[in-house]
Amino acid sequence: MPRIELKGITKRFGEIVAVKDVNLTIEDKEYVTLLGPSGCGKTTLVKIISGIWEPTEGEILIDGKRMNEVPVEDRDLGYVFQNIALFPHMTVLSNATYAPIVKDFPVEERDKIAQEVLDLVDLLDRKKFFPGELSTGTQQKAGLARALASQAKLLILDEPMSALDARVRVDLRYELRRLVKDLGLTAVHVTHDQEEASSVSDRIVVMRAGRIVEIDSPENLYNNPKSIFTANFVGEMNFLQGAINKLRDYWAIIELRNQEYLTLSNRDFRMGAAIILAMRPENLRVEELRGTRLGNAIPGRIESIRFMGSYLRYEVLLASDDHVFVDSFTGEEFKEGEQVAVSFDETNILTFPAPREGLSEVIKLE
Amino acid sequence: MPRIPSIRLEGLSKRFDGIVAADDISLEVKDGEYIVILGPTGAGKTTLLKMIAGLTPPDSGKIFVDGERVDNLPPEDRGMVYLSQTYALFRHMTVWDNTKFGPTVKDWDESKCDMLAREMLNLVRLYDRRTARPDELSGGMKQRNALARALATDVKILLLDEPLRALDARLRIELRYELARLTSDLGITALHVTHDQEIAMTMADKVAVLRKGRIEQLDRPEEIYDNPARPFICHFVGEANFFEGTVHSVSEDHSELEGEEYVLRARPTDLPRGSEACVGIKTENVRLLDGVVEGQNHIPAKVVRRLFLGRLVSIVIETDGGKMLHVKMPSSIGVKFRKGMEVTAHLEPSKCIIFPIPEKGLKEELEVE
Repeated sequence: MPRIELKGITKRFGEIVAVKDVNLTIEDKEYVTLLGPSGCGKTTLVKIISGIWEPTEGEILIDGKRMNEVPVEDRDLGYVFQNIALFPHMTVLSNATYAPIVKDFPVEERDKIAQEVLDLVDLLDRKKFFPGELSTGTQQKAGLARALASQAKLLILDEPMSALDARVRVDLRYELRRLVKDLGLTAVHVTHDQEEASSVSDRIVVMRAGRIVEIDSPENLYNNPKSIFTANFVGEMNFLQGAINKLRDYWAIIELRNQEYLTLSNRDFRMGAAIILAMRPENLRVEELRGTRLGNAIPGRIESIRFMGSYLRYEVLLASDDHVFVDSFTGEEFKEGEQVAVSFDETNILTFPAPREGLSEVIKLE
Repeated sequence: MPRIPSIRLEGLSKRFDGIVAADDISLEVKDGEYIVILGPTGAGKTTLLKMIAGLTPPDSGKIFVDGERVDNLPPEDRGMVYLSQTYALFRHMTVWDNTKFGPTVKDWDESKCDMLAREMLNLVRLYDRRTARPDELSGGMKQRNALARALATDVKILLLDEPLRALDARLRIELRYELARLTSDLGITALHVTHDQEIAMTMADKVAVLRKGRIEQLDRPEEIYDNPARPFICHFVGEANFFEGTVHSVSEDHSELEGEEYVLRARPTDLPRGSEACVGIKTENVRLLDGVVEGQNHIPAKVVRRLFLGRLVSIVIETDGGKMLHVKMPSSIGVKFRKGMEVTAHLEPSKCIIFPIPEKGLKEELEVE
């Protein structure tokens, strides 16, 4: 029953602080993903959890027991590698039998376990194949089987999809979540891909520059992110900059550039305060430009139209000099260069205080 | 400004130890076009690009640039530059020196080299980092540095081998817009290979779907998506559900496929009555209705799984006959469908694409690796 507690974990490599004062509890049977851009510290953190690296400061507990200085082989975990890392000269079956042998399971049990885990990932019919004879997606399933064969209740998934083609990843993520839940495992998964994180996780830990930015369910991170960084990193987001121009008990008027205005419910705004408005492309709408404007709409010009498969993406230059993307699933007909109005649904607009360091600094990915 | 070149490939073929990497590939790329070659791993994408670049000799076939044959020319005389997946920057050189390397080996005079390097670094927004070395750059910056170096040679044909693969998912989204804009501003003809259908959809003027060394379809992204030439493409570009059966009736505006459980109405077909066929429908074209609703192309089912993806939710439903169907819809609509709920899948006939049963069977046809 692995429950993981990280208390004040810091990791330094010389001058560089890779992870800074991280506190995190992962509950038993929880599927948690560490999500963030390159260099955010997510890989360092998962290596500290697995015992590959020791933290410079702080304590790591698994089921209440201190794990610092306990080597990786004594931590009872299964590890799925980014580069798959199967033994190339061994068959799929031998790869799956590897952990039971190393763990000194009785001979009669080894084979049974290996057969079981291969059955779980639907690879029994390929057990005599060598890794080189399999597609990368199938290889990674074998990698997963090998990790499961350790019978450990803690599964570490270190960017398990990054060697795979986009299309193959989609199929494998169903598999991952199903297995972890069916077997009652605790899983810690590392990725930079928000869609992958959202599809497998109970909770996502968003990281940036060695620190945790926020922790929440995939739905909450997408719909109600607490920080501008998360808003931009987890899915695409449009940002507008504005200031509170009028303030009443229940509503407020936000002034954008060029005397354009939006009306929002009053969310404890302060008169004159600079704010950032954030809205998802799929929550905006392109409409015909009419003489009188009703509700929240800002005129603009369609700069480009892109076909995205199930939807169209309009890039619109608003009269407020902001560029926004609008995704339309209904396929109404507008043309490039056309003057239109973009309408905003008040309930789908998130607001944040304008950050002192500037918007572009806060959402920077690298 | 020099004119923008066009490329023509005629019957390019290549085998490695009996494995066909390119099978009689012909392709026309007009000047200034951005062509994405899309295919799964092992389709022969990199081989094709390297043959065009002159890095791998084809077994047979011809390559033309602006009507002039170039396949007998060395790589440096073909007027094109190949950008590898790994960027291949010189580690001991600064961003500036790496960028200037391209024009310098062309033996142009110093001031022209400086001018080009400065221009290109400004364009990729790296001029401020010109004294940094590759190790000090993030993945996205390395990618942009490699691009600047390639562009500084003043070539007008860019061959891009998975240029965004090594980047974080979120950064990839941003850089794909930048890359497309840059090539169009500079008047460059680009061939970009990728396994990622979203990149193909968003960046390409035309997509060439490559599989097992053959171009299976060359068309605008909309056409590849809406009118796929075969089941594999229907499934690979997006994701689709398939039904097998026999053609039950054919009329001018629709056809009917008789399967084990139901008769499905689909787009019209040239296939004769009674022939074996299959119907594909993209996951996002399946509509879900609450409860059991009788109607044409309505299939009763139960929700077995729901995955939240962000903008979209992915829902798996099981029909009464035990068939699993995948459905994708905007999250705002999808939240109400929960595990165990009874639903009806509505398959709009105009979105149901009918194909003959592929030679080697549907299962093998749909394999994405």
